[in-house]
Formats: sequence, structure tokens, C-alpha cells
Amino acid sequence: MAELKKGDKIRLTSGGFVTIEKELGRGGQGIVYLVDLNGEKKALKWYINAPDDKFYKNLEHNILSGAPSVAFLWPEYLTTKQNGSYGYVMKLRPQNYFEFGNFLLAKKSFRSYSAMLAAAMKICNGFMMLHRCGLSYQDLNDGNFFIDPDTGDVLICDNDNVMPQGEKSGIMGKARYMAPEIVAGGIPDKYSDRFSLAVILFMLFYANHPFEGAKVVACPCMTETYEKKFYGSEAVFIYDPTDKSNLPVRGIHQNVIRRWPAFPEKLRKTFEQEFSQEKLKNPNTRMIESLWEKLIAGIRDSLVRCPHCGEETFIENTHSCMDCGKHVDVSKRLKMGTRSVMLTKGTKVYVDNDNIPDAEIVVHPNDPSKILLKNLSKDNWTAETPSGKIKVVEPGGLMPVNPGIKIAFSNAYKGEITQENNN
Amino acid sequence: MSLLDEQVSVPRRTMTLFFLIDTSGSMEGSKIGAVNDAVANVLPMLDEISAENPDAEIKVAALEFSSGVHWLYSEPKLASDFVWQDVKAGGLTSLGAACAELSSKLSRSGYMQSASGSFAPAIILLSDGGPTDDFDSGLNKLKANNWFKAAIKIAIAIGDDADKDVLKQFAGNSEAVFTVHNIDALKQIIRVVAVTSSQIGSKSSTAGDTTKQEQVIEEVKDAVENIKGAEAATTVDSSSYDDDWD
Repeated sequence: MAELKKGDKIRLTSGGFVTIEKELGRGGQGIVYLVDLNGEKKALKWYINAPDDKFYKNLEHNILSGAPSVAFLWPEYLTTKQNGSYGYVMKLRPQNYFEFGNFLLAKKSFRSYSAMLAAAMKICNGFMMLHRCGLSYQDLNDGNFFIDPDTGDVLICDNDNVMPQGEKSGIMGKARYMAPEIVAGGIPDKYSDRFSLAVILFMLFYANHPFEGAKVVACPCMTETYEKKFYGSEAVFIYDPTDKSNLPVRGIHQNVIRRWPAFPEKLRKTFEQEFSQEKLKNPNTRMIESLWEKLIAGIRDSLVRCPHCGEETFIENTHSCMDCGKHVDVSKRLKMGTRSVMLTKGTKVYVDNDNIPDAEIVVHPNDPSKILLKNLSKDNWTAETPSGKIKVVEPGGLMPVNPGIKIAFSNAYKGEITQENNN
Repeated sequence: MSLLDEQVSVPRRTMTLFFLIDTSGSMEGSKIGAVNDAVANVLPMLDEISAENPDAEIKVAALEFSSGVHWLYSEPKLASDFVWQDVKAGGLTSLGAACAELSSKLSRSGYMQSASGSFAPAIILLSDGGPTDDFDSGLNKLKANNWFKAAIKIAIAIGDDADKDVLKQFAGNSEAVFTVHNIDALKQIIRVVAVTSSQIGSKSSTAGDTTKQEQVIEEVKDAVENIKGAEAATTVDSSSYDDDWD
């Protein structure tokens, strides 16, 4: 036990030191302190019981390599070993980010579906970049994410367990989030991360656990043995299309019962597949992060603002608002490859996956029946009219939403405005 | 937006923390005073652990035993709703009756009624003496109870007159018995044991082979090193080759 106190100076391997100001919180492994580093406020995670040398070397290596993406609250400095333990320094979490658990407890909720989708996109992107670096997160659970409820921006913390794939950090994951093969004693890797990612995404969208239905509720006392069973060897998805033994229970799993039918079908289909018995048992068939990104982008393309009630709504086959039920005209589209972005007043368009809107649909100042596309990006767009004229739309500039116009947002992203007839 | 606005909390399991408190005559004075003070002060901490925890909510139940047994509330209560009424010392040590009473409540028809299920309970036994009633028959009932089998069980021996062998039998092994020799240590250990068992008991388990009880024992042992007048079991648990060979 090596607790620190206010005023203690803790040396860093890079030279210099941090000064302890106060405790910010504590968990099973360690204590997080507010510290001062040359006048800048930072957070120090200090281990109560120092993990072994391999863990120390791994931290050192991760600090040298740097964060895989901006989504990570990544270790920045390592302390030397002192006072019988050690720790690492990272950025402070901003005040407007809240633990994912607060969303599950309904103490915080997303301000909009756009924010919810932005959070999902950011988490997927973070893990894609992490896996691209050959690393795995190992212990992905509800305590690792901090989310801004207004924007959906995400910070992934507790990155000290991140290890090269195939290596074991020694810190075990949490039941309910661990892949069945890890519950059974396997070594975490990118495939088990992908299982945990699917669980986190499911909970983010539906605010209930994908394996907690009638079967689990019927278990009066959830002992460690039963946890291994219900989240491991005998896990059954609550909406498994063939096995109805674990359906959500009215009065208990309210969120998922309401949201499952209301949210887009492609989301339902994806979770049915990802939590099918086949994928539970075959880790390498689980969906890769870039396909999750594609799915989320597609869902975002079908999220519009209802012109009648002003609420956000997902538009699927019926073209009616989820809230007021009135018909929404989504005949104007922006086609980009297989994507079909619905263009309605007030809707924002995300050309790529960075969560920053690139365009917005606004009303024509002189003719309320017409809509215009506004360039919210920092780049010039090049548009080609049906007759072959080339126009440049500068940042902040406007262009008509007329079928047949082709737009190059950049070299990588091109699209065409179309008119759908089956509206 | 209505669907987002209508969101309710995820269903949480319930983890009930039981205090079994010896209020026999020998506890009179500073010992019972320290217990009252420590439990009253730990309740807000348990409330905080419960409020931030998406896995489970924590409820508290307290049974005092002297010449008879008495529950402070007739059902487990959230820590925030549990108003601690000071218990008073006097009478004998009916630990056997306390075991039987606890066993009767460790059932779905008793105290374990949560609609969204429970985690195994955590049970903290505090005593400064030895049972004056039929302990064995009470304990045997309890030992046959599946909730008890799965529970985190920790015993706190107050002073050297506490019958540690009895406490060991209750908690399942000698490592789960912690001894305190002064009032300050008693207060501190109640806090450490209650907080640690609540934290570990109310979370989904981690993979690996250590039980929640073993994890609690390890953490409490670490903490005990810094508490003057508190000690963990120092002797090797020899029960496997000492007991039941006659």
C-alpha cells in the first residue's frame, strides 16, 4: 500500500517531477491524483500494488509509441519506481465528459441521436486505430469510457492494460463485457475486443445488456459460477431469432423493448448476427471496426430532422416520423457509392467518419419551398452541373439541391444529388 | 427525442450487506459505541458506491444478537434510507440463534426478493466473545443455505476474548477473520470491510479463479497493515490436517 499525499513530488523517467495536489478517485488497481507538472494540471494514476516489470516496460513502450487516436486519454509520462510503487501521467478529463455508467443509470442521456451516433463512431474509430497498431485493449468495459452527452465525443481511459495482441496484461476483464472465450480462460486479443465493442455499442444504443433477459432474471443469485455461464458458455442474445428463451422482460428491460423496434432495421440485423451462437463461438468471424463505421455512417445518413415536429427521426421504408408519425419527404438524396444521404431541412451531412458535419441543409432565403446545401467544411467543393458547368462552393457557401449535380468534396469523397421516385 | 428522454436506468441487481452485531453484555461501553459510530459513518459511503454503480445497488440489513435476536429493519434498505438507531449492549451471546435467523432470511421468500436478481450477499459478523447458545445447530442450518455458501463472509474479532474458532467456522476459513485490539482499529476495520465487500460484491466478477471473498480478504489484509491494533490471521490455516481427524 503506497498512498501519496499532498505536496509529494514524484519523479518522472523523462526527468522532472509532478507534485501531488489531491485525490480525484480510486479503483481496484490504483488511485488517481490531480498533479501539477510545470504549472500544467495533469492526472497521475498511481498503483496501490505495483504490477510487475513486464507491465512497467509495456507502459514505457506505449508512452513512446503515442496514442493511436485522439479518442484515447493515453499515458504521457511514466514515473520512476518510488515509494514501493509507480504510476503514469495523463491529461485530465474535461468536466463535460461523464462515465458511460452514468448514461446506463439514466443520470445522463444523449442530447440527440446525432450525439449517440457520434459516440458510437468515435469508439469504433478508436478501436480500429488501436488494432491497426497491433495492440489490444484487453479489459473493455463500461468503466472505460467518458462521453460528452451534448456532442457524443468520447474519451477512452484506463489505457494501461493495452498490450500487443496475444499478450496478457494480467488484468482480467469484467464479466458481462468479456468475450465468452475469455470468460473460459483465453487470452484477450482484437477478436475478444470486438465482442466487448459490440456489447458496449449495444448498450449505448439500447441501454440494456444484450444477454440479460428472462433467463438471467430468473437466476435469483448471480454467483461467479452463474456469471461464467450466462455471459460465457451459455450466453443467449435477448433477441436471438431462433432461441426465444432469453427475451427481455417487460417492466425490467424497458429501454431495449422500446428502442429495439424503433431503431433502424440494419442495426437490429447486425446485432442479431454479431450475437448469434455462431459468432459467439467463432471469434474471428466478428465484424471488424471499419464495417461498424460503415454501418453507423449509413444509419446517420438516414437520420433527419422532421419538418413537421422538429424532432430527429430515423427514416426507413415507411418514410414517416418516429415521433409525430407524419410523412417526411426524403426524395432528395446525396448518393456516395452505396450511401444514400437523405437531404431534408436542418439535416447535417457527414461526408467522412470524423464526426464533424461537412454540410447542412438550409432553407432558401427567398423561397421557403427550396432547400440549399451549405458547405460547413474548410475545403472548397467542386460541383459539376448536369449541363457540364463547373462551380466552386467555398467554405460557408451555398448551392442548390438539384438532381444531377455532382460534387467533389475532396479527392476521396465524391457524390451526386439524386431524386428518388418511390417516395 | 422522446425515446431518449424516456430512458430509464438499466435494471440493477441487488447486493445486500448484512451486519451481524454481537450486543451481549461484554460489548457494553466503548465497544458498542465504536460499532454504532462506525456503521453510521459507513452508510453514506455505501450509498455513494451504490449510486455510481451500473451493476448493482447496495442494500443494508443489520441483525443484533444478545439474549435474543433483532433486525434493525424488517427488510434490507438502501443505505440512504437506513437510519442507524444505536444498538445497546446487554445479555447473552445467542450466535446460534442469529445464524438460524439469518438463514431464514437468506431466501427469495425472505430478504432476497429483488425482481432483477441479486448478487451473493456480503456478511460481516462482529463479536467479542463466544456463543452461549447452541451454535452448531444454527451454523449447520446456515451452512446448508446456498446464499450463505456463495456469500462474502468476513468476521471481526473484537479483542482476545472473541472465540476465533467460532468466527472461523462462520466465515469459512481463518483468513477471513480479522482481529482488532482497540476502539480506533475497530472503527477503521468496520469501514474497510464494509466498503471493500460492497465494492467487490456489487460488481460483476472478473475472470480468473479467485472468488470475491478471496479478493475482499486480500484487500482488507493490505489495509490492515496500516491500521494500528488490527491484525489479519497470521497462522497458516491448518484446518485440513488438524480438524476432523478424531
